[in-house]
Amino acid sequence: MRKVSLLLITLFFFFIMTACTTDGKEIDDQVYALILGLDKGVDNKIRLTIQYPTYKGGGGMQKSEGGGEDKKSGQIDNTVVTTIEASSILEGINLLNTVTSRRISLVHLKKVVFSEYIARQGIKNYLEPLARFREIRRITQIAVCRGSAEDFINENKTLIGESISKSMELMTSQSQNTGYFPKTPFETFYKGILSPYGQAYSTYVGINDFKHLKPLSEATAPLRTEYPILPGEIPRTGDLARETIGTAVFDGDRMVGSLNSYETRYFMMVSGGFEKGIFTLEDRSMPGSAIPFDVRLGRKPKVKVTFNNGVPIIDVNLNIEADIGAIQSRIPYEKLERIDELNDLIADIIQNGIKKTIEKTQKEWNTDIFSFGYQAAKHFFTIQEFEKYNWLRHYKEAKVNVSVQANVRRTGLMTESAPVRYSNQDVLSEEK
Amino acid sequence: MMKEGNFGIREAVYLTILVLITKIFYTSIRVVVKTTGTASWYSTLISCVTSIVLFLLLYTLMKRFPGKDLVQIFDKVTGKIIGKILSLVFVLYFIYYAGSSLREFVEMIKAYNLPYTPPSLILAAFITVIVSLAYVGLEGISRFAVVSFYPIMVGILAILLLAVPYYNFNAIFPIGGYGISKTLSVGLLRSSAYTEVVILAFIINSIHGVKIFKKTGLISLGIAGIIISATILCSLMAFDYPQGGENVSDLFQLARIIYFNRFFQRIESIFLFIWIMASLVTVGATFYISLSIFCKAFNVEQHRPLILPFSFLTFMVALEPKSLTEVTQRNIAFVRTYSIFILYLIPIFVLLLAFILGKKGAETKHAKG
Repeated sequence: MRKVSLLLITLFFFFIMTACTTDGKEIDDQVYALILGLDKGVDNKIRLTIQYPTYKGGGGMQKSEGGGEDKKSGQIDNTVVTTIEASSILEGINLLNTVTSRRISLVHLKKVVFSEYIARQGIKNYLEPLARFREIRRITQIAVCRGSAEDFINENKTLIGESISKSMELMTSQSQNTGYFPKTPFETFYKGILSPYGQAYSTYVGINDFKHLKPLSEATAPLRTEYPILPGEIPRTGDLARETIGTAVFDGDRMVGSLNSYETRYFMMVSGGFEKGIFTLEDRSMPGSAIPFDVRLGRKPKVKVTFNNGVPIIDVNLNIEADIGAIQSRIPYEKLERIDELNDLIADIIQNGIKKTIEKTQKEWNTDIFSFGYQAAKHFFTIQEFEKYNWLRHYKEAKVNVSVQANVRRTGLMTESAPVRYSNQDVLSEEK
Repeated sequence: MMKEGNFGIREAVYLTILVLITKIFYTSIRVVVKTTGTASWYSTLISCVTSIVLFLLLYTLMKRFPGKDLVQIFDKVTGKIIGKILSLVFVLYFIYYAGSSLREFVEMIKAYNLPYTPPSLILAAFITVIVSLAYVGLEGISRFAVVSFYPIMVGILAILLLAVPYYNFNAIFPIGGYGISKTLSVGLLRSSAYTEVVILAFIINSIHGVKIFKKTGLISLGIAGIIISATILCSLMAFDYPQGGENVSDLFQLARIIYFNRFFQRIESIFLFIWIMASLVTVGATFYISLSIFCKAFNVEQHRPLILPFSFLTFMVALEPKSLTEVTQRNIAFVRTYSIFILYLIPIFVLLLAFILGKKGAETKHAKG
């Protein structure tokens, strides 16, 4: 009897282990969507675009058989881009399963892109299935596209390496190297939508038509150290039209505006997300000459919110560290008695930039994407008191004090710049 | 007289802690965050302290009747008939607990991993293991708890530590949650979430008497309180109170958002492993306790012939709710909010009765330690 029982139990487990359930799936039986785009539909609520790999040659840009680009058939870099209109995201994907031979799975979805049009209308209806559906992980990145999401996905290709999936993940990690755009995993974005402490923001993306790079000319160009670049506006040429730069700003589930590349850096500095980035500043002693710095946060930003007669006061304290990338003027700022000139230059520029960025979010949109509300909440004992006060409503009334302390830590591979010698100038290198 | 074997304080502590903390894998965190908001992390400590106080009252009862388990005490204080009725209430409660926990597990695994697998198949597979554990007996269950304890603790710790990038400590403000009165009332009622420690009173003779009983209970409650509070705190810091009240399982959600780079992400498989182990220990232990109480109450020497009927009852309880909503809002809400009235108040009532009637047990070798 005992042996028979053991045999039956063993057989039962073998039965389960062979995946004899309706959830057993071969990896190869599914196709894994990489990116999901959402536009406003014409005949139905949603126009949904997805891109998935064809598993032919790894998704590279080979112009060989099976690779390359054939927009008519929807094939881009060994991936397929397909668009459909449907009543909901999940049903749209279900409908697309009538076209693909393999079931479309969202477990490896890297990014969800909303068109700016629907982002400005409000996206809570689209977020609901993303938050609820078990296949979508909340590490999926959220982005808002200037223009249509469909067009953006049609331009989502890779020129370096074969894997478009790898390329997309590495593109997201460029936030750490530049600070020009924030990383916005769905979890962070969704929390922002629901939070009483602050509001949501997302990566801002777009397509470049390559018309911003003016033709070469002999005229002297001015030094422009900060310029309000938004996606699609980088003065450049190339093959890849897609761009990720800037921040889309939300009030609730509605996009209300955007921060350009530099405002995004200031925003990320205050919110603590800034890792490093090159800042080019104008040399005060020699206007027209640039000093690029490799800037990073020295320590976590200190933010304090107090109340004075009911008016919130926000104190932001930042410690910035920088390494000198170049001194075009070759003025010896590296010297002990001159290094503070650079420290002051960096501190002034960043302090000013942060003030203006915070002011913009207060005056233009009354949207606390910095989440200062977490600090304000310390002054309330109960959730009821805090929610009744409604920090998000009072954010615009806050007075903001920003203090930045900058330290130039390293000078690159040079400790000073020896003067350039010309035939018509006498240069004495001896130090006085 | 049923022979259950003996095991040491370490096994007893591990077993009790696992039975107490398994609820963090389920919907428990969500409910606490939803009801007490930012005060949830210390509201559970209030529950824990309340449970400790009630446990000490239970200890007083057990001390009064050295060498006797709770079933025998019921019989001695209230008489054979009422004693058996009280024991039956506990039998039914533990079957209900095992069945409801099992169904909660099934609903969660369906929500996250196996959406189209028939629930009866998952239930059957799970119950097969539970039956095997019950067949081996209490000693086997306690040994299994010891083996599972370290992987489960390491797994929980790994999830909580790896999710650090999402934590914002300031999410614990406003510190008062929905107000002191709400926090206190929920904290007191939710002491039901710590009532499983009562199982020690039924296996007191296997853990060498009342001194070990007290020590095991206090250590288990203390450690479980810290683990549950830490998990709630981490969920609160990661999700804030509005979203923390939305998730089916906050701990699973925490495991799903862990992302460091392309190579280090999607580590929730750790979660699945420890979640199933913890659920097996909890359901296995409570299922066995219901069997054990029944056998002790009706002087059944061998529990094995009862395993199949009891597993059938557990299966029925598990299949009875129609949906996840029904399991969580009826079964689990009852277990984690009102079980205090069964598990603690009945023994306290018996203690009062023993005082009034002047009933007391005899000194035994076990009680002397």
